[in-house]
Amino acid sequence: MRPRARTLFFLAALTLPLALAGQQVPKAGLPALTTSAGQSADVTTLNIVFDEAGIGYDYCDVPTVEMLADGVGLGGRESGPGFHIEVLSDLDRFPEGTPFKAVVFAIGASLKGMGASGLTLEAEEARLRKLIDYCRQNRIFVMAVHIGGESKRGAPGSDNERMIDAVAPLADYIVVTKDSNKDGRFTKIAQDKKIPLTEIEYALGLVDIAKKVFQ
Amino acid sequence: MTTHTCDCGICDWTWRHVPAADHKPGSTRKIYRISQYKTWPPSEGLKWDLVKNDFSGLEIPQVPRTYAYHHGMFGYMNEKQVAIGEATVGCQRRMVNPTPSAKLDITTLTMLAMERAATAREAIQVMGSLAETYGYGFHDDGEMLAVADPREVWIFEIMPVGPLWTPESGKPGAVWCAQRVPDDHVSVCPNESRIGEIDLDDKDFFMASPNAISLAVEMGFYDPKSGKPFSWKRAYSPQEGSAASTDGRIQRLWRFFDIVAPSQRFKPETPNMDFPFSVKPDKKLTVQDVMNMTRDRSYGTPFDPVKGIRGGPFKNPNYYRQTRVINDGRAEYTTVTQSRAGLPDMIGGIVWISWGSQDTACYMPIYAGATALPKSFTVGDHWIFTRDSARWAFDYTDFHVQVAYSEAIKDVQAAQADHEAGAIARIPEIDARALELYKKKPAEAARFLTGFSINNADTVVDAWWKLGDDLLVKYNRLYLYNTEKRTYDRRNPAPPEWWRKAVRAFDILMEPDRR
Repeated sequence: MRPRARTLFFLAALTLPLALAGQQVPKAGLPALTTSAGQSADVTTLNIVFDEAGIGYDYCDVPTVEMLADGVGLGGRESGPGFHIEVLSDLDRFPEGTPFKAVVFAIGASLKGMGASGLTLEAEEARLRKLIDYCRQNRIFVMAVHIGGESKRGAPGSDNERMIDAVAPLADYIVVTKDSNKDGRFTKIAQDKKIPLTEIEYALGLVDIAKKVFQ
Repeated sequence: MTTHTCDCGICDWTWRHVPAADHKPGSTRKIYRISQYKTWPPSEGLKWDLVKNDFSGLEIPQVPRTYAYHHGMFGYMNEKQVAIGEATVGCQRRMVNPTPSAKLDITTLTMLAMERAATAREAIQVMGSLAETYGYGFHDDGEMLAVADPREVWIFEIMPVGPLWTPESGKPGAVWCAQRVPDDHVSVCPNESRIGEIDLDDKDFFMASPNAISLAVEMGFYDPKSGKPFSWKRAYSPQEGSAASTDGRIQRLWRFFDIVAPSQRFKPETPNMDFPFSVKPDKKLTVQDVMNMTRDRSYGTPFDPVKGIRGGPFKNPNYYRQTRVINDGRAEYTTVTQSRAGLPDMIGGIVWISWGSQDTACYMPIYAGATALPKSFTVGDHWIFTRDSARWAFDYTDFHVQVAYSEAIKDVQAAQADHEAGAIARIPEIDARALELYKKKPAEAARFLTGFSINNADTVVDAWWKLGDDLLVKYNRLYLYNTEKRTYDRRNPAPPEWWRKAVRAFDILMEPDRR
């Protein structure tokens, strides 16, 4: 029995988020919009995390300020080529048109993904700037997530780093996997901008965090 | 035999030979993250050196001896004649695992199979078990590999199990299944999952991970209470439509069956998911048949890319890209592998390589026993032209074919008859000489096979540079130059009369007021 108990403890420890000392997981309200900063597949992971956490959300890979302003349901728009929408918010609690209280960005640049959405890197940066400005002006909670790991970081000035610069310093909360933050880049942003940051071992760790943020 | 078109358009095309190696007990094999799409400028180095800068953090126990092999984007042929061809098939969205918990991608798995497997079955077990243990995905999702040895060909399909997988979960980090192609059959994978119903009790034809069916139930892709048998492809990688319903977008599956077994009258209206896993061809296929098939453009079918005015006056099949045909102008390279029983492995195994678009290229044999590759196969990229790279020789010819395709392709086909059909014809003689040497000293046979493979490739690459030059001169400014007579024909190559009519019709269409 004892060895088994130790194993269970070990597994539990691995899945616990590794928050920076003294910082709490902030709270945010629903409804929430999930989206991508850079059009990598990491936004799919983000959506699966929300599914797993049992949190309803709306999703659009390339939302505009107008869509964000339309609130839940994203103005009734439908998916098309290079443009995906899912409305999974709890419509009983948040009828169509309810203003979003949070936007969660999965950071990760993919030339393939941006190409499929008809975006250049510059266009993606400009789109993100406008979205975050709108969030700031309308007190919408911005959560930035990087779960792609070290391999999807890139050198300074690289596509992925530009996506980080576009979102992370302006976020209200940052969550990253440990190996996304091996060089301490997110820690530095968090310290400089006084943004709460949580490190997790695996994407799985984001499930509990999402529950805490949006409970 | 297997064949694989590495079709990307912007990917790295360089090849490398990895020698066999002995490893001390307790040594480890580092696992790197290898993206099929990532490239570096040549000034920064070669991809197969630079991928080592992206260590995944995982080192797995090394085996005592790793086999020699040739690889490009994937491992293709090892010294045991284990051969591989690849196709991306995709998977259900919720299965994708782009997170770092997945340590192995498809490129790495094929290389591990090359290093560790002496048979196709072993290769499948190596890839499957490692993926289960260390997680599969990251850069890749649903993938298919044709895995062959001199006795069997298997279709192996592997998929991630979702981004929330962790190694500590105790669950497999991948789901996979493999089905053997019956000995007298052929199969094809045009970027679509091909394994349907499976019988895991039939060990001679099926292998799978322990979660092959249970994961589908768990993720809601299959309901055992539905009364329907479990279908791997319908659960994990469903594909809607047919060749006809997609206006040719997914017509390659139908086209393959139509080519190899015309007597069975496969219909383009048949949904792709309803096509059989494999078929007995009307006649036994030769290596030249397979090479020719990789050049197929669906001419004369409802999906003919030069039907009507689509190809312009010189019937160029590259203008109209609505239909996805088997020949692919975006090919980095194409392989045809042969694993031949009755010969020592170093002689029996051959990987034929052609660079760029198959119709204007030439397959060159590299024996399994070759211990080096032509230098020109190991360098070059899409953005910097260099005469040091074999690939650019074939692009150079291809470029000069585009101007007057229907005429210039005949010059290319003549060169293919010389150099490709010529090489195929020489193989029995090379085999025999290598066998003589092998019986005396295998190392001498290896030197001979290396020399033949490199010399033949160098000759062909030189010939294609010259062919490009010749085409430039011959069809310069769309006239026909005769270099022997030092004359030129101003009337040829002549646009056909139907083209002149089409031009007039277009004018009328666009300028109705002048009708």
